[in-house]
Amino acid sequence: MNTLPILCDWLSRRLAPEGARWFAAARAEVSGGVDSARFCALFSLASRYAPRGPLALTGEELARAAAALPGWNPERWTTLEALRVALVLSRTDLAGPGAVDAVEELFRYADIGELCAGYKAIPHLPAPERFLWRMGEGARSSMRAVYEAACCDSPYPAKYFDAIAWRQAVIKALFVEAPLWRVSGVDTRLDAELARMALDLADERRSAGRPVNPELWMCLGAHGGARAVASLEVELRSGPTLGRAGAVLGLARAGERSRLAALQTAEKDARVLSTLDAALRGGCDSRAFAALDPNMAKVS
Amino acid sequence: MRFFDPHIHMISRTTDDYEAMSRAGVRAVIEPAFWIGQPRTTLGAFVDYFSQILGWERFRASQFGIAHYCCIGLNSKEANNEPLAKDVLAVLERFVLKEGVVAVGEIGYDEISAAEERAYVAQLALAVKHDMVVMVHSPHRDKKRGIQRSLSVAKECGQPMTKLVIDHNNEETVQDVLDAGAWAAFTIYPHTKMGSERMVEIVRKYGPERIIVDSSADWGISDPLSVPKTAALMLQRGIDPAWVEKVTWQNALDAYAQSGQIDVPALLATPVIDQRALFSDNSVLRGQAPRVDEAPVPN
Repeated sequence: MNTLPILCDWLSRRLAPEGARWFAAARAEVSGGVDSARFCALFSLASRYAPRGPLALTGEELARAAAALPGWNPERWTTLEALRVALVLSRTDLAGPGAVDAVEELFRYADIGELCAGYKAIPHLPAPERFLWRMGEGARSSMRAVYEAACCDSPYPAKYFDAIAWRQAVIKALFVEAPLWRVSGVDTRLDAELARMALDLADERRSAGRPVNPELWMCLGAHGGARAVASLEVELRSGPTLGRAGAVLGLARAGERSRLAALQTAEKDARVLSTLDAALRGGCDSRAFAALDPNMAKVS
Repeated sequence: MRFFDPHIHMISRTTDDYEAMSRAGVRAVIEPAFWIGQPRTTLGAFVDYFSQILGWERFRASQFGIAHYCCIGLNSKEANNEPLAKDVLAVLERFVLKEGVVAVGEIGYDEISAAEERAYVAQLALAVKHDMVVMVHSPHRDKKRGIQRSLSVAKECGQPMTKLVIDHNNEETVQDVLDAGAWAAFTIYPHTKMGSERMVEIVRKYGPERIIVDSSADWGISDPLSVPKTAALMLQRGIDPAWVEKVTWQNALDAYAQSGQIDVPALLATPVIDQRALFSDNSVLRGQAPRVDEAPVPN
């Protein structure tokens, strides 16, 4: 579904009069056809007309987004990003053969904010699989904001990445400390190879005397076998609170219900215990890991 | 005290320098595009350089609580390779409009050649078109005449003098710049250009209006702490602290905030360092624990 009318609707309620006037003129210019230099200039100039602050969508608006493009969650978009994505979508040649080059031109000269807006635009374009290489660049970035723009709150990676790119994108979230629970597909697109990569990473962290990211346990599902259970038990014995809570969720996702029931009687840590209670009631999908995300804790 | 170093090439400095600058109170820097010690041979090298100072370098600075702004331009030395210069001028507009680009610069004259003048005029036109500040590099050789020409050509091109900063001044050039109504910046170098002692006497003689102190530290023998060190010497030698604050902080802010690209309230808020952020497949951290300040950076 075309998401441009939705973005325009949101922007009309949020842009100041000067910004709204500029946006109307820029949209008209883009839809009339502009050369690459002018398109890039408008993409840059948008920063002068839209606040960098959050778009701050209502629950109703978020529901409309998810209905239009399943997996799209713009709750962390800025007004400037919405404006820039709307400018891209205002091109009338996006289904044509020149679209990939035109969009790539934006990326070639982009600053950080433009990169993020560019990656957020791609899932909204016709035949988004044409932009697979570019999205892979985003997933390889160690600039956390760029990684998240490409991989989080978006249907794209799970839907279009091949197995190698998908697993790399998932593990990369742990390296850049992006919220893996926001990567759509981490509850469903799991396999034995991803579980092995995650378990190797846990071993590497422990050998170096470093903590294991609690979200790492999301990567296992029921694919880790005995090695996974052993690694989860190590975390339960010796990890910090959040790591132990993550390990509880890992056990639940592996189907180790009887082990969880046994833990329930012995657990002393209230935080771990509440995670455990919820997990036994079925709460062990990626949303349960959101509670272990330090950034979410900081916000709440 | 807090300091604004409005001319420094951080791309050539180490993280030790960033740490020392942060400790010394440097809160904001401007990285003007310049050459890299030797001439580039391809357009791609310029494109990547502009991207780097707008991207990775800004990220490095942020990890030490230092706000990092840029000037974008084709420098005078490389303007003499005219076929390449033409290509660079053609892409400049794609970079000068980016967030945090506070001026077109550093541009101007090196040998005061015709090719340099063509590039200077083209870039002044770009600045006038987008109502931007211009940072001018003044030549080492024939400096006085170079500065006079920079001023008169800028005026002919319609660049407002209030949006013109002439850098690398000395005792012989400052009066011309102030008389023209432009900002006069001084680079404090240990062996060439200005020394801190001479700077003290210039401020004593000319007062603090439209005078700016910077380090222009780069890959040569230079000192990224020039601005705080010169401020300390000024105070020690009896310059009014309000004057010192003007020439090492406020004037640079006033000159470059005219770009609209400095979020002044955010800059005035006390910085908090968070080294956990990562940028573009690399991190300045090499295995050591990230420094995450709960408290503000000490002044």
